[in-house]
Amino acid sequence: MNGVGIGLALARERLQSASALLVLALSLAGLFAIGVLERQSDAASAPDDALRGAVFGIALPLLVYLVSERACEGQRLDRSVDAVARYGSDRRAALLGVLLASALCSALVSALLTIAALLGAHAPSAPSLLADLRASVGIALLAGVVYALYFGASSLLGKRGGGRKWALIVDFVLGAGASALAAPWPRGHLRNLLGGDPVVELSQANAWFALGAIGLACLLLSALRTPE
Amino acid sequence: MSELRFEALNHAELTNVSASFTAGTQVVIGSERDGTGTLIQLAAGLLRPATGSVLLDGVAAWSNAAARRRIASLCADESLLPARDVSGAIRLSLRARGDASSALSVLDAAGLAHFAARRVSQLSARESRAIALCIALSHREPALLALHEPLSVVGLVAQDFVLQTLSRVAAAGAVVLCTENRLEDAARLSERASALERGLWLGSAQARPALGAVTLRVHTLEPRRLAARLSEAPDISGVEWTGGHELLVHGSELERLAYSVVANARAEAIRITALKQDAPPLEALAAARAGLAQACYEQARSAGTATRPS
Repeated sequence: MNGVGIGLALARERLQSASALLVLALSLAGLFAIGVLERQSDAASAPDDALRGAVFGIALPLLVYLVSERACEGQRLDRSVDAVARYGSDRRAALLGVLLASALCSALVSALLTIAALLGAHAPSAPSLLADLRASVGIALLAGVVYALYFGASSLLGKRGGGRKWALIVDFVLGAGASALAAPWPRGHLRNLLGGDPVVELSQANAWFALGAIGLACLLLSALRTPE
Repeated sequence: MSELRFEALNHAELTNVSASFTAGTQVVIGSERDGTGTLIQLAAGLLRPATGSVLLDGVAAWSNAAARRRIASLCADESLLPARDVSGAIRLSLRARGDASSALSVLDAAGLAHFAARRVSQLSARESRAIALCIALSHREPALLALHEPLSVVGLVAQDFVLQTLSRVAAAGAVVLCTENRLEDAARLSERASALERGLWLGSAQARPALGAVTLRVHTLEPRRLAARLSEAPDISGVEWTGGHELLVHGSELERLAYSVVANARAEAIRITALKQDAPPLEALAAARAGLAQACYEQARSAGTATRPS
């Protein structure tokens, strides 16, 4: 348990910086502005368009990628805990701590992005705002966690964690479809949860399950591929 | 009593290194280019060996957290753990080691308490190494101290503090493995020394015989007669007839050896058609260089002993 706490503390220190807050603030402002523009273009479909396009399509994966990169200090996930492993921390436990910090931070960022976009896309007094927030924030929290685990596991590939970059590209390219090729990546299932085209005709309940399975598989892969 | 063993170790610069160390201070002479930095990282369990193994009391520290907890190390390049200030970085390091000491007490013991509030990002590379050395030396019961050039930070950390702590830890049964580039620093650290030369491991016994071994290849039409004459010459340690018209003549000093060969051949009116130095193999060159280093080291050590007040 101490190892997890050490990993958590290590990642927390790495994630704390003024530049990270600035990037978050700019992203929130940008998504709010996109929401407002969508509302001016077509008020009825603005929340859906803003969420599916700008938030879950672009900003969320990119920001979670940056969070993961920063939590691992731009290295492979397993090598990112070497700094504490040298003092006797269990690498696997420390790695779980880093993933936990990364997942919590990503979930928070995702929720904030979603809230910013919905506040812009809805009229301030719109009665559907609260219901939309309730439904979308839950999806955003899960998306943040799954993407954090996905980028964490993929950073086990490559000398300096270059697999993380490829994971982002593959998710963008293959996850955009609805065939079986899109099934292993988070993007298609998130689109399904937001009311878009399902991947291989999966129901929304199964999309939740699929995202959970992707996250769990990534977590297990990360733990199993790292020595003590 | 702890034991550290390198078994047929190959990694980066290191080539087939096999050695074992028991309790006490041992110093490995060589530069980073020779692989000393890599050796320390491997000993501390920070790198997984490409082939071979590194065992501390029979356990590979790379894949065993409990073994790593008994190791304190100082690498060639050190960066402290991320934190707002130095004391925060030390606190996290101690927490990872399961050590309840305070960061201030660790710094204070080495006379570096004034660094406590400094920002980690403002430290120079040498200051980071000094603080990393403090953390390493604060380990209460290490089985292994693996330190890369610990005396290079003297000035920031008192030399007496480093040497006394190393002696105390070694006396308690730990292996203290240090690498040093400077011979005088090596002499201060330990009497037991080995050398690394471009990744080749040279124990002191292995390095010595290569000192001063010179061979000349001599071509003559009368090799047997010349060999008979040279075998009695005082500057020549050995003569080999390889068959044909060639002799291998061994000695300890190139100029005297060549002069002796020519003088003896002239005295017997034997014509020499070619005379050239035999190029030694790379291993022998490396051994000779390490042998010289060893000799200088011992000279520095004996000078230090002679001038030390009783």
